[in-house]
Amino acid sequence: MKVAVIQFPGSNCDRDTLHVLRNVLGLDANLIWHNDFKDTSYDAAILPGGFSFGDHLRAGIIAAHSPATDIIRKMAEDGKPVLGICNGFQILIEAGLIPGALLRNSTLKFVCKWIDLRVESCSTAFSCSFERNSQLRMPIAHNEGRFFADDEALDRLVAEGMVVMTYAHENPTGTSRRIAAISNKDGNVVGMMPHPERASDHILGGTNGLKVFESMLEWARC
Amino acid sequence: MDQVFSVEIVISNKPQARDPEGETIERDLIHKLGFQSVKEVRSGKLLTVKVEASSEIEAKNKILLMCDDLRLYNPVAHSVNLRVRA
Amino acid sequence: MLVGELGTTLTREEMDYARRQLGREPNGLEWAMIDAQWSEHCSYKSSRHILAQLPTSGRRVLVGPGYDSGVIDIGDDYVVAMHIESHNHPSAVDPYGGAATGIGGVVRDILCMGTTPIALLDALKFGEITKSDHSKWIMKNVVRGIADYGNCIGVPTVAGEVEFDDCFERNCLVDVACLGVGRKEELLLAQATHAGDGVYLIGGSTGRDGIHGSTFASRTLRADSDQERSAVQIPDPFTKKLVIETSLEAGRAGILRGCKDLGGGGLATGLSEIADKGGMGIDVYLEEVPVREGDMGPVEVMISESQERMLFVVKKGSEGFLDDIVRRYGVQHARIGEVNATNRIRVLHFREPIANLPTPLLANAPIIHRKAQMPAVRKLEHSPERPSDLRSPLLDLLASPTIASKEWVFRQYDHEVGIRTINKPGEADASVLKLPNGKYAAVKVDGNARFCDLDPYLGASSVLAECCRNIVAVGAEPVAFLDHCQFGDPNDEEIFWAFSKAVEGMADFAKAFPLPCIGGKVSFYNQDEESHKAIKSSPVVTVLGLIEEPDDVMKMGFRDYGQALVIVGRTRPELGGSEYYHTLGRNGNAPPALDFELEVRTDRTVHECIRQGLVSASHDVSKGGLGVALAEMAIAGLKGASVDCTITQEDKMRDDELLFSETNSRFVLTTNKPSEVLEVLSKTNVPADVVGTVEGNSLRLGLNTTNLDFSVDTLRAVYVNSIQGILEPWQK
Repeated sequence: MKVAVIQFPGSNCDRDTLHVLRNVLGLDANLIWHNDFKDTSYDAAILPGGFSFGDHLRAGIIAAHSPATDIIRKMAEDGKPVLGICNGFQILIEAGLIPGALLRNSTLKFVCKWIDLRVESCSTAFSCSFERNSQLRMPIAHNEGRFFADDEALDRLVAEGMVVMTYAHENPTGTSRRIAAISNKDGNVVGMMPHPERASDHILGGTNGLKVFESMLEWARC
Repeated sequence: MDQVFSVEIVISNKPQARDPEGETIERDLIHKLGFQSVKEVRSGKLLTVKVEASSEIEAKNKILLMCDDLRLYNPVAHSVNLRVRA
Repeated sequence: MLVGELGTTLTREEMDYARRQLGREPNGLEWAMIDAQWSEHCSYKSSRHILAQLPTSGRRVLVGPGYDSGVIDIGDDYVVAMHIESHNHPSAVDPYGGAATGIGGVVRDILCMGTTPIALLDALKFGEITKSDHSKWIMKNVVRGIADYGNCIGVPTVAGEVEFDDCFERNCLVDVACLGVGRKEELLLAQATHAGDGVYLIGGSTGRDGIHGSTFASRTLRADSDQERSAVQIPDPFTKKLVIETSLEAGRAGILRGCKDLGGGGLATGLSEIADKGGMGIDVYLEEVPVREGDMGPVEVMISESQERMLFVVKKGSEGFLDDIVRRYGVQHARIGEVNATNRIRVLHFREPIANLPTPLLANAPIIHRKAQMPAVRKLEHSPERPSDLRSPLLDLLASPTIASKEWVFRQYDHEVGIRTINKPGEADASVLKLPNGKYAAVKVDGNARFCDLDPYLGASSVLAECCRNIVAVGAEPVAFLDHCQFGDPNDEEIFWAFSKAVEGMADFAKAFPLPCIGGKVSFYNQDEESHKAIKSSPVVTVLGLIEEPDDVMKMGFRDYGQALVIVGRTRPELGGSEYYHTLGRNGNAPPALDFELEVRTDRTVHECIRQGLVSASHDVSKGGLGVALAEMAIAGLKGASVDCTITQEDKMRDDELLFSETNSRFVLTTNKPSEVLEVLSKTNVPADVVGTVEGNSLRLGLNTTNLDFSVDTLRAVYVNSIQGILEPWQK
């Protein structure tokens, strides 16, 4: 499986993500500069965290207009696994690949902490290796992670199993329905605020993040 | 004949989406320092663009189209207001 | 723009010296360049000869003081670079922009060496936020500035310290240290050495922001300093991120001869320093400098301190490779000069020479020998009455901002990016990071203005000792340090005396350890002209340590029930300079004593205990004394303990002295091999005793006249919620 990790100007979790994919999981993964990403032959794509284009105007909006995002859209339509982590999640939302909006945390402050999550859906490319309702610990680190959609849309998301992960106990950002990760209808595109690449080593705090990437392999097999 | 119009684009959170920045400014700055007659504060982002158009209406329409096309605002959570100055 | 008697910081002696050396009257532009470069902030003219006392050599030292960053060899062909910067004056006027651009500056210093920045630390000092809305405003915005900038560029802020004192009300201190890693073969020194090499300006445009920044930092703050906004630089972390990528790629491609950060003094300083280090000259083509405003004059262009700019000295013939790199990242670049062998800095404007100064003259300000005068001995304070209750004082201490949890601060910092952070903020005495060669770096920053105010020599040596203790507590061996000396007006003889004694104290302790100083900074003029109030002497140190084995990495929380608590060292009645006294509105008469030899011996032996796998958690005892140290371990581990504190006292003393003295050379360790721990410590005659057990969910302290019992939940609530409650009482 060939995995592309897309780098935008301002991405800063790209090398972390590559390290986990390549050196911890042994996958054939590469960093691709957004202007060089022209090829839909990759089997999966990851949009890493960071501050693409400085978060100017709105986090993720400028990157959403990059030609690289058109390639991502094509891969998504082809049913390939696409994961957006943190800023990547923001980009997927602005590109219309995932519904909703991500707004500024209600505390108006950046929040960096390890937090308890619950897996709500195992029918996505990045959660199928988990058991339903399993509790995980992963770090979040963001300023604009408050998921928002109107009540009707939220009800639909829940009903259609598109809520992938929720915050299990505290809700540090005021996100609606405690939503931490959302998928598209088909389950191959997932956006998540927590950082699985940062939860891939015991000495750093835990390894729950590895299963997120391992799910990608399992999904490909199904 | 085309003129240059100055259009102000104000992007703010829809009423259903909380605006904690506006709330904080209202509660912790304005009310704290005695301006009790202030009833509401909404925060937003202002972009001022200069655009060539033959009339005010055309200028406004061009910019509204741009806002929608480029998703300068996210319609799920934001509302946008335009104001034209000559 | 006129420079000269108007708005210059040069003294008559300095101006005469310049005229004599040059053999003529310098013109307006030349005066401006000299003024910027010879400012205290850039030249260290008052302090260089005093700083020479600090030991700088060590078997691992590759680059010592005098370069943009110090560099340590960590083996396996890898190096670690370290530097510290302060942005005190700008932050006092514009806390958000000042703090943010402080990060920008220190990161550039690390990049200049060809290393990748991997961690930031911040040492902050504010006025009393419990009393002052102004200080609340300063603190909130300084933290937000550091957070926004550091998070955006993707360098984790992993540790820090915040101290509060009334003396910092109008003169906050904002220090930022940065750590970088790289390969030995990619190490760069900021030197222009080959004639014909091109000098390129990379990054942001040059504008009017930041003009006179270094001279601003070399004067006391005035009432109208708020108007001096032009002296504050505007942060642009997105551009900085692109400059970081560009610099690292250019360095790895081998096309750079040298790389220089543009900070204080702008181009004038950057060019003269890079030429001076290489013994060369540079011709500058002023019209090539990309400017933000079209009508900027030559002086403005040469001394502007606009942020996010670097100088690259590019090997002749490699310019094409540079073009490819900058185009990829969309970073602005311009060839603004060329290196030659003239040993002169020549500024040309459309081929017209408009300034021409010898490199060594510009780069080396004449040393100023300032007078030092020991202040009169202060009136002695009498001891306070014995407190009737010891519960409230301990809880008050845990709630006092200098001691309370800084969670409100560090939650805003992305401390995980880079996936290297093993010891997170709040978990241990120092941050511990993964290094690329499989080893680990421990790093900490420390200061203690209260100690240094009472006795600068003893206080400064204690600051270095405490920082080393913090490094040892996490299982590391200290290998190098940075010093950052922050004082008021050096023209004040008593202040200059304090500075000299502080450096002497740090130097003597460093020699005793031995621990080399690989860099540092001096920040004078931290003083308010209106109130004539200078800050308390505030030297801050950053210590780097190395750990070989992952099992040696220590945190401070109580780990397992049933483990024994060992206190290393003895407690003496030494409340001078303590946080306890501060909560009572007192200072005391002298800080705790420091036996250099015992301190070093204790460090080495505790380190040995950790290396032998005998220790499960460790914490050094410092601010707040034993009471606070034990509470912090209980809170971090969410477990209680029963402790007989009286065992550790040399002689029987008051209970507040026992709990709150900040006596040096002490650690608290938990272990399930207490007799072996005691054996190792007794071999080197380091005093130590088993004093209790980890058990229950209360912290039970046995004192001389009473026993105290606190539920860990209560301790935690007070400790964690204090600063949040002061700054944002409405937020849960």
